[in-house]
Amino acid sequence: MSGDLLVDQPRTLTTKHDRSDVPFRLGTRSASFVVLGIMSLAGVFLLVQGGQALGADGPKFLTTQAWDPNSGVFGIAAVLLGTIFIALTAIVVAVPLAAGTALYISEYAPRQIKQTLVTLVDLMAAVPSVVYGLWGLFLFQPGIQDSTRADAHQITPGAVDVSQFLATWLGWIPIFHVDGFNPSDPLTTKTIFTASTFIAGVVVAMMVAPIICSIMREVFTQAPIGEREGALALGATRWGMIRSVVLPFGRAGMIGGTMLGLGRALGETIAVYLIISPIFTIQPHILQSGANSISALIALRYSEASPFEISALMAAGLALFIMTLIVNFGASLIISRSRSGASSD
Amino acid sequence: MFKRNFAAAVLSALAVVGIVGSGAGSAPAEARPMDVGASYATISGIGSTWSANAIQQWARNVLSNYQWKVNYSDAGSSAGRQAFALPNGGADFAVSEIPYALKNSDSVDPVPARQFAYMPIVAGGTSFMYNLVIGGKRVTNLRLGGATVSKIFAGAITKWNDPAIAADNPSLALPAITIVPVVRSDGSGTSAQLTAWMRSQFPDVYAGLCQKAHKPGVGGSSLCGITSNFPALPGFKAQSGSNGVAGYVAQPQYVGSITYVEYSYALNSHFPVAKILNTAGYYTEPTAGNVAVALLKAQINQDQSSTDYLTQILGAVYTNPDPRTYPLSSYSYMLVPTALEYGFTLNKGKTLAAFANYFLCQGQQDADVLGYSALPINLVQAGLDQVLKIPGGDPTTVNIAKCNNPTFSSDGSNKLATTAPQPQACDKQGKTQCATGTGGAANISTSGSNGGSSGSTGSSGSSSGNPSDGGTVGSSGSGASVSGGSSDTRPLTVAGKPMTIPTSSVTATPGLIAAAVAVLLVLGAIFVPPIMSRLRPRDRPRNVSPTRPRRRATKSAIPKVHLQSVRRERAPTPSSTEGS
Repeated sequence: MSGDLLVDQPRTLTTKHDRSDVPFRLGTRSASFVVLGIMSLAGVFLLVQGGQALGADGPKFLTTQAWDPNSGVFGIAAVLLGTIFIALTAIVVAVPLAAGTALYISEYAPRQIKQTLVTLVDLMAAVPSVVYGLWGLFLFQPGIQDSTRADAHQITPGAVDVSQFLATWLGWIPIFHVDGFNPSDPLTTKTIFTASTFIAGVVVAMMVAPIICSIMREVFTQAPIGEREGALALGATRWGMIRSVVLPFGRAGMIGGTMLGLGRALGETIAVYLIISPIFTIQPHILQSGANSISALIALRYSEASPFEISALMAAGLALFIMTLIVNFGASLIISRSRSGASSD
Repeated sequence: MFKRNFAAAVLSALAVVGIVGSGAGSAPAEARPMDVGASYATISGIGSTWSANAIQQWARNVLSNYQWKVNYSDAGSSAGRQAFALPNGGADFAVSEIPYALKNSDSVDPVPARQFAYMPIVAGGTSFMYNLVIGGKRVTNLRLGGATVSKIFAGAITKWNDPAIAADNPSLALPAITIVPVVRSDGSGTSAQLTAWMRSQFPDVYAGLCQKAHKPGVGGSSLCGITSNFPALPGFKAQSGSNGVAGYVAQPQYVGSITYVEYSYALNSHFPVAKILNTAGYYTEPTAGNVAVALLKAQINQDQSSTDYLTQILGAVYTNPDPRTYPLSSYSYMLVPTALEYGFTLNKGKTLAAFANYFLCQGQQDADVLGYSALPINLVQAGLDQVLKIPGGDPTTVNIAKCNNPTFSSDGSNKLATTAPQPQACDKQGKTQCATGTGGAANISTSGSNGGSSGSTGSSGSSSGNPSDGGTVGSSGSGASVSGGSSDTRPLTVAGKPMTIPTSSVTATPGLIAAAVAVLLVLGAIFVPPIMSRLRPRDRPRNVSPTRPRRRATKSAIPKVHLQSVRRERAPTPSSTEGS
């Protein structure tokens, strides 16, 4: 042993587990396997339940724009895209809002109000979605009006007025186009803007913004103090420091938070269910009345569905499950590969 | 530890086997008709939103008067029939406008394996509630022909100034506003009633709807079937539940919308309903009297051996030649279990039978005020006979003569129908049009003359939410609705309201105070915890190191550098300093 020193042999490291370590490791390991098992069971359950409808419909399931399983004509082309449109609208509204809030809280806010702002944002996340739905349906969408007057005198403008503004001035952009809307027609009713993808999306944005905001805030506060001080010492303004240190450091966290918010927005049910007017054709005009999402479809039809319809709804649920899974896996991948994510991993 | 777990698992497994074994032994419990439940168990029902306002009022009445707990969830007729058919659906009863396996329907909807009976609960009219404003004033006297309203819901008429609507309304200067038909997004018996009427009376119009919705024909016909899921065509709005559609139309600025709901929802929303043209050439409103008159022609399945015993065939109702007829009148049905299965027990049967006895007898007095129409004596009798089939019910006979039902008379005729007032001359098809309001807006006339119009319609249920007023109108006009003598036994009735937020209370002082208190509470919930948490740790560091001010410690965490001056000096000569 003493003469054979030319070749380095890595020393084998052995860990001797303590008596208390073994059950603890066993417990945590089994807990993590249970989580995995539950998730795969959910997938298997959806696949088994939806198998009947998937088998009957075949690949048409992904391309048909109708939902009438009892007569055999059904597919998720419209609802799947509707789900994505609502989620994307929500993300487009929520991300700038959340990023601005997170930056303000972590970088600019005076210490005295910082904790209050954090509480406020957390409170926003704690509001149940049905409350957001009712708020969206009765206050946000129509605005507050004087119901004692027949001519609908507005006290505050509603989301339909925003829609009307967008359709009037930006109607030349295809997604803001509204069929049958003529800005010069004084008799146009606001009903053509109600129950749209845009309104559902903005309400969902209010629900996902707090999640995105708190993730971003966490990441921003983790930006290394040495680099911040370095940037400031080199003469950067505060905004320059944020741009050169905080944002690059937190970029992955921002993307990850956005993706997590997107995953939540895809699955949001009751607020969307309350607001939309469900249609089964692809509706790319987000300001126009009529939208749909998979979770709202399931909530709407589940209670009255025949066994085959339930199978079809389960198949739609499977599609949503897979899509959400992909989004969330993508998010965790991006987070874990980043600098800020690696340290928090 | 592992051994102990194993022993526990074995024990619990044995216990499960024991429970299953004993359950299997006692499963086929056949109910004997003489068995009566020992106590009143809580029952839950699910189904129709069409009749929900009546059922929920009755459930409140029996809870406050007799402490019988009846839960009713207005999830829609289709959901009700589906939940009732499931072994673990949790429905002790269901309410539906249409029976299982409806003929000419577009869905299969099989009759469930469980034993049940249909029991009529209340009559009513499917009304067309609308939101139309002309020149800043709400229109309350709109009239529509059957073909016109069918075309509206088939997407064939899309503007309020369509010549067909103008022909129905000679005194209205109709605007060129787009019509927004609001339909049900969930499976609904109301949709089924509307499509059944359209399919039977206006097949050409209905064919257009079938074609636009790409729905195939059924039953050897090219026409698509009666559907509980109304197809939402482009330009339509689909909302869930009667509350959803009525709440949508009742939003003041959604001018131009029209929907189909039971009359009670229009009364509760204080919105008008369209008068519909009947075969006699009169435009009528679904008042209790007009519905009762129309349903004199309803064909009721009298074959006691049939599974569809007591269900309705409404073809003759649609074309009833009486000038008072409201064409879209119908009955609503409760599906009651007749065997102890699917979780139904004798105690639940006792509650359900007592509840059914209550609403078939006393409860019918409320029908008019709530916006429905009372059942005639033959259906009340047949319904009470169905109640006897419920296992666990107390078979003590209800004295049908003491029910004080407005339809009952000494000679057996339908008193509500015989005393229903004839329509006014101005309601006849032609050049004249009544200015009086309808539905929940009966006290708002459309042209200026508000004078003696409120009593002259004789519409007995004209003023909802105000039972005393309804009573006076009823006694002077029709004499049919609320007889004064029965007021001592009548429980207080308040019709259920659709969900709307009372925006008018912004100006009201109690509303303002309540809002201010709520805002203060919310603000307190937001701001008090962080302030508290900041106040508390301030004391502790002081005890540890009283000399060190806390402020400085926090400031040093983020260094403050006077960046502006540094940058200003560097900026003008960047290259010269580096180059040399």
